[in-house]
Amino acid sequence: MKRRISNLPNLKLTMGNVEFDNPIWVASGTFGYGTEAPELVDVNKLGAIVTKSITRKPREGNPPPRIVETSSGMINSIGLANIGVEKYIQKMLPVYESLSTKIIMNIAGTDIQEYIEILEMVESVSSVIAGYEINISCPNVKKGGMEFGVDCDMTAKLTEALRSRTDRLIIMKLSPNVSDIVSIGKASEDAGADAVSAINTVVGMSITAKTGMSNIYTTYGGLSGPAIKPVGLAAVHKLYNKLSIPIVGIGGIVSEEDVAEYMLAGAKAVQIGTANFRNPGISEDIISRFNLFMAKTKWGSADEMVGQVNTHS
Amino acid sequence: MQIEKAKILTNAEVAHNIWEMKFEAPLIAKGLKGAGEFLNILSMESWQNPLRRPMSIASSNGDVLSIIYKIFGEVTTILSNKRTGDYIELLGPLGNTFTHWQNGHHPILVGGGVGLAPILNLQSECKSAKIEHSIIIGARSSNEHFIDHNPDQQIYLTTDDGTTGESGTVMGPLERLVKEKANPYIYACGPEPMLEAVRDFSLAQNVPAQLSVESYMGCGVGFCQGCVIPRDSSQIQDHSYHHKYSLVCLDGPVYEAKDIQFA
Repeated sequence: MKRRISNLPNLKLTMGNVEFDNPIWVASGTFGYGTEAPELVDVNKLGAIVTKSITRKPREGNPPPRIVETSSGMINSIGLANIGVEKYIQKMLPVYESLSTKIIMNIAGTDIQEYIEILEMVESVSSVIAGYEINISCPNVKKGGMEFGVDCDMTAKLTEALRSRTDRLIIMKLSPNVSDIVSIGKASEDAGADAVSAINTVVGMSITAKTGMSNIYTTYGGLSGPAIKPVGLAAVHKLYNKLSIPIVGIGGIVSEEDVAEYMLAGAKAVQIGTANFRNPGISEDIISRFNLFMAKTKWGSADEMVGQVNTHS
Repeated sequence: MQIEKAKILTNAEVAHNIWEMKFEAPLIAKGLKGAGEFLNILSMESWQNPLRRPMSIASSNGDVLSIIYKIFGEVTTILSNKRTGDYIELLGPLGNTFTHWQNGHHPILVGGGVGLAPILNLQSECKSAKIEHSIIIGARSSNEHFIDHNPDQQIYLTTDDGTTGESGTVMGPLERLVKEKANPYIYACGPEPMLEAVRDFSLAQNVPAQLSVESYMGCGVGFCQGCVIPRDSSQIQDHSYHHKYSLVCLDGPVYEAKDIQFA
C-alpha cells in the first residue's frame, strides 16, 4: 500500500529568517562546497549544505598525513585548505542559484577583521545563500579560530560585529575543547547569534605503537565520527538547558536514530559529517529513513521532539 | 561512480599473506575506463572502522573484477574471512587511468608488493592490444610472489633476499631494460621508496614514467581533502583548493613522475 504523503511527519523548520525543508544537513568540511557531489547524490534533498570553511585568502592546508582512522572515528588535520573568499564569490555563489537546497556558508578567520571582511565581501554581492556558520573552533590551524572559541568576550565581540553587518542567519559553531561550552554559547546568544552549532571535532592524537610514529602531520587533529557522539549529545543537552536560541547538533551521526537522539537532547537541526566520507549519499538516505522513523513515533513533527529526552532526575 | 554490493566469487591466498578476491560488480564494471582505477571498499556494516579502504582494480573481465590485498590489519583480516557468496560494498570506479603508450613505445611495467594490482591490470591491456612489453615484479622474498620468473617472456622477478628471480630491488632490471629497449615508457606502482627511486631514475634518464601512488584516503570522492600528495606542477587544480597539493582520489592515483614529489 502506498503511503499517503499527508501522513508523513512534518520536518520543516524555521531558524532565524530561514525556512528549511528538513532538519538534516551536511557539516562543513565533509561535503566540499556543495558543487562537487558525485552524480549518485541528490543534493537538493538535503536540508542544507554547510560549505567548507572559507578564509580571506586561499589556504593550501597542512602537509600529509592529514587523516587517520581511529576506533569508531577518524582524526583529521586538513588545516582549512580552501579556495578563499574571492573565488568562492566568483565560482560558487552563481552555482547556488540553481540549487533548491539551502546553502550555509562557513567562515573562518584568524582575527575579527578577517571574519568581517569575508562577510562584507559576500554581503556586497547578490546571492541566494541562507546564512553563515562561523567557525570559531577549528583545532587545526595554529593562529586559528580556537582563540575565539575558548573566550566568551572574543566570541561576543565577533558575534556582535557580524550581527551588525547582516540580516542573514548566523550560527556560531562551538568547540568541545573548552571548559564550559555553555558560557560560549550564551555569549553567542547574548551578542545576537540566531543559533549555535555543536560540536566541532574533539582534539585527538593517534600513534602506531609498532613504528612509534604519530599518524598526523600536525601531531594533534580533530576527532570525529561515532566515537564523539556522546560528547556531542551532552554538549547539545547542556546548551539546550541554558539557551533559548536553537541548537544544531553535530557529532557522530550515522543513522536516523542518531538524528532522533540529538533532537531529544535539544537539537532543532543536525549536521552529518564523517558519515559522508563513508557514503556520499548517506545523508539523503538518513533523511528518508528519519521520515519513516518519525511516522512510527508519537511525535507529530520533528520540532515536538526537541529537548524531550527523559532524564532520571 | 556507483555504490554496489558485489557478490564474492573467490577469495584466496595467492602468496604469503597476499590475497586475491574476485567479485561480480556489473554496475561498476560498466563504468570502467581502464587500468589504474580503484575501488573504495567497505568490509563491514559496523562503524567500528568508519572508512572504506581504497584498492586498485587488478583485473576486469566482463562483470567480474578483482583486487589483490595484503593482510596487515583488522580490516584486511575481515576481508580475508569473506567467503564465496558473501557480499562487499564497493564505491567506484574511482580515480584516473594510466594513459596509453604511443606507437613505438615499449612499456616497462613495474610492480612492487601489492602495488602489483594495477600493473597486472595494465599488463592485460598490453596483452589484448598486442603491445610488446616487459614486466618487473619486486617482493621481499619468494613466498610473496605468485607469478613465475620468466625472462623469455620478459617477466622479471626480484627479491630482496635473492630467493627467487634477481636479487635486489626492481631498479636492477629496470635500469637494464631502459638501456636495452627502444623508446621505453615506465609504468609503476608500489611502496613509496620504490616509486621515489623510479621517479628519480626516470627524471635523470629522461624516460617518461607514470606512477600510481598510494595515499591514506578518507572518502575517495574529494570531500575530505585527506589524500593529498605534494605536486611539482604549477597547473592549478580546483580539487585540492590549492596548487601545492593534489588530491590523489580525483587527480590521481596515476601521475606523470615529473608532476609529483614525495614527502
